Amino acid sequence: MGTTDIGPPDYHTMLPGVIKKNYGKWKYHEIIRPGVLKHVSETGDVVYTVRVGSPRLVSVDFIRDICDVADKYCEGHLRFTSRYNIELMTGDIANVDKVIEAVKKLGLPVGGTGACISNIVHTQGWIHCHSAATDASGLVKSVMDELYDHFTNMKLPALLRISVACCINMCGAVHCSDLAIVGVHTKPPKVDNEKLAAVCEIPTTIRSCPTGAIRRHPDENIKSVVVREDLCMYCANCFTVCPAMPLADAMGDGVALYAGGKVSNARKPPMFSRMIVPYLPNNPPRWPEVVDIIKGVVNVYAEHARKYERMGEWIERIGWETFFRLTGIPFTEQHIDDFTHAVETYRTTTQFKW
Amino acid sequence: MDENTPLLDELEKGPWPSYVKEIKRAAKKNKAAKDLLGIQELSYKDKVTHWKHGGIVGVTGYGGGVIGRYSDVPEQFPNAASFHTIRVNHPGGWFYTTKALRQICDVWEKFGSGMTNFHGSTGDIILLGTTTENLQPCFDALAGIGFDLGGSGSALRTIAGCVGPARCEWSTIDTLNIVHDLTMEFQDEIHRPRWPYKFKIKASGCPNDCVAAIARADFTIIGTWRDSLRIDQNSVKEYAEKGFDIHKLIVDRCPTDALEWDEKKKELTLKPEDCVRCMHCINKMPKAIRPGVEGGATIMIGGKAPIIKGAYLSWVLIPFMKMEPPYHEMKELLRKIWDWWDEHGRTRERLAELVERVGLKRFLREMGIKPVPQMVFKPRANPYVFFDKK
Amino acid sequence: MNGEVTEALKQKIIEHLGTVSKAKNKEVAKALGIEKHLADKAIGELSKEDRIEYIYLDTSYIKLKGK
Repeated sequence: MGTTDIGPPDYHTMLPGVIKKNYGKWKYHEIIRPGVLKHVSETGDVVYTVRVGSPRLVSVDFIRDICDVADKYCEGHLRFTSRYNIELMTGDIANVDKVIEAVKKLGLPVGGTGACISNIVHTQGWIHCHSAATDASGLVKSVMDELYDHFTNMKLPALLRISVACCINMCGAVHCSDLAIVGVHTKPPKVDNEKLAAVCEIPTTIRSCPTGAIRRHPDENIKSVVVREDLCMYCANCFTVCPAMPLADAMGDGVALYAGGKVSNARKPPMFSRMIVPYLPNNPPRWPEVVDIIKGVVNVYAEHARKYERMGEWIERIGWETFFRLTGIPFTEQHIDDFTHAVETYRTTTQFKW
Repeated sequence: MDENTPLLDELEKGPWPSYVKEIKRAAKKNKAAKDLLGIQELSYKDKVTHWKHGGIVGVTGYGGGVIGRYSDVPEQFPNAASFHTIRVNHPGGWFYTTKALRQICDVWEKFGSGMTNFHGSTGDIILLGTTTENLQPCFDALAGIGFDLGGSGSALRTIAGCVGPARCEWSTIDTLNIVHDLTMEFQDEIHRPRWPYKFKIKASGCPNDCVAAIARADFTIIGTWRDSLRIDQNSVKEYAEKGFDIHKLIVDRCPTDALEWDEKKKELTLKPEDCVRCMHCINKMPKAIRPGVEGGATIMIGGKAPIIKGAYLSWVLIPFMKMEPPYHEMKELLRKIWDWWDEHGRTRERLAELVERVGLKRFLREMGIKPVPQMVFKPRANPYVFFDKK
Repeated sequence: MNGEVTEALKQKIIEHLGTVSKAKNKEVAKALGIEKHLADKAIGELSKEDRIEYIYLDTSYIKLKGK
């Protein structure tokens, strides 16, 4: 056996000099302009950070290009953020403009700070995932092209986090984002009896269903299962444990939209995102229906929310009934929860708006 | 092979940087990347994925870190017929030297498609697309430059944390050190899946929670403080003089009404016993207000996405824990939780789902943790209580 | 949790593995009546010494090298 369990490199070996020297000593920071942070240390040292948008799905040559910039102006160091942005740090203010110029030459935007729309956290989609109900990178590109100015300026009431997940497994904090796009199936699994008998364990498959929709095949000679379609909400958990039950369907698959989630504890506690649109068809390459609604909601939020109010805080204040009225998004029976914690969402007061 | 990609070409237009351009860049040097482009175009045409369930592939000694992936159109795109992903554990805080990044690029150009994710949602460097034969040599080459694989399957997933004290004044705990220390301690748990399902640990240095630990980690570490936040009145005056409306934007927005503003004296005072450390005032007046100095973490458990029983936010388990290396108390707690979950959990049952099924009361008892009001928003309303039957 | 990994303990694990085709770490711990963490540690060492090997069938098992 070769070398195993060495773990990742020690982070100490990756830190730029000014970071190492001022580790744990930072005093305050300011955003000196969109995409540029200035952190000041107790020691008097200053570090400037230029935040750069990335498509995340990148070639090794992209990484090398960024490394060239970091070698030239940032002493050969850089970092990435949890939202895939690239951060180029320098202690010398004279380098800030040079870094910005260099990354702009590479076609990359500078921004993602303060009251903006930062990079979209997303999943693999059709580029690499077997359970994807939609693409991820293409949706991100389509939405960010339209909301580009919100990345490079800071004119929103508060920061606005968008996430994309290509299925309801929701790799990425989609269930707690200001706006979320989630790939959904709308057709029950198509059981391949022959394959199922060969590759799946029947009790495990039956147990995988959260609504008990999967039963043993009534014909004892057929070693397979049947799906009670009226109980299936297309979660695809069965497909994950048993590949002989695919749900993917070109006509049925699409996306649902959610709004109002957050993870930060600032002001109100963290909140889940809530469904605003149950289904829109997949319409590659640009998903115009999705982009239109996202843009519309961002505009209504920008116009109506108070300063510092996150999407979810704004909606809580005005009420969901007002949200649907202002955005013009129709409220349907799909919006009403009928899963595990449904009753908690029913309105147990006479307080509501017309 | 069809090199005509009219649908994807649309995604080369527009101001946001294009991943399609990136695949095309890689495709110039690499046949698998070229076929990846073709498969993606086909998905855009067919509106379904062309990737199949992974088979069991991996590297010697590990049960995870590699995601097996095969295309369902191997005849049409033979160079991407098998297109496995390698998850590489990132260094804490996602800091790199360009030397390390260039070495990764060289390894991946040699053994893979040349396409990557910097980074995946959990935090790993994702090397996207290689063949079964290349897995072991690629892994060995990565080990040669000091990198190792991250987690996958029913294992401890790659641990992630925010930028923390490296470049943030709000972090009350050393997130980079916590992440690295736990990662090194639990290499076995990361590389050899043996639990009911996945387990995630994330550390955020303050309640702003920049790595979404509260939503995405079974074990959530969030920096907090036990004393009072610090206010520098001179800086407060500066904010006020610049026209910043402290009353409206800070005092009125405090969720627990813990701040008072004296307009005449231009003085901001805090009732520390009312402060819930939400970060709002600190976020908006970073030059004037800072977290307290008696730092530690609130330990929470249970956060996860919807599969299977619905989404959960992490809830408070230990309101305050000191965070000092070597983090014995936290490691003991983690091991205790894992053993209990491994014993009682059903296949694909996350920790939150198990605790909900058997009850938080039993979980606390078996962990030896005393119930405190900080664990709940409010006590129960129903009278259906289980008392000990003695 | 403070138990030490000794050669005697490792030998016991090897003996136990001789009686089964494969085992999970927690099964080894139960069979030997030791803490799971200690079993994990000992098994990790045995693997590094190339005396046992891991196999993966949905979850991780160990078995005697070459058995």
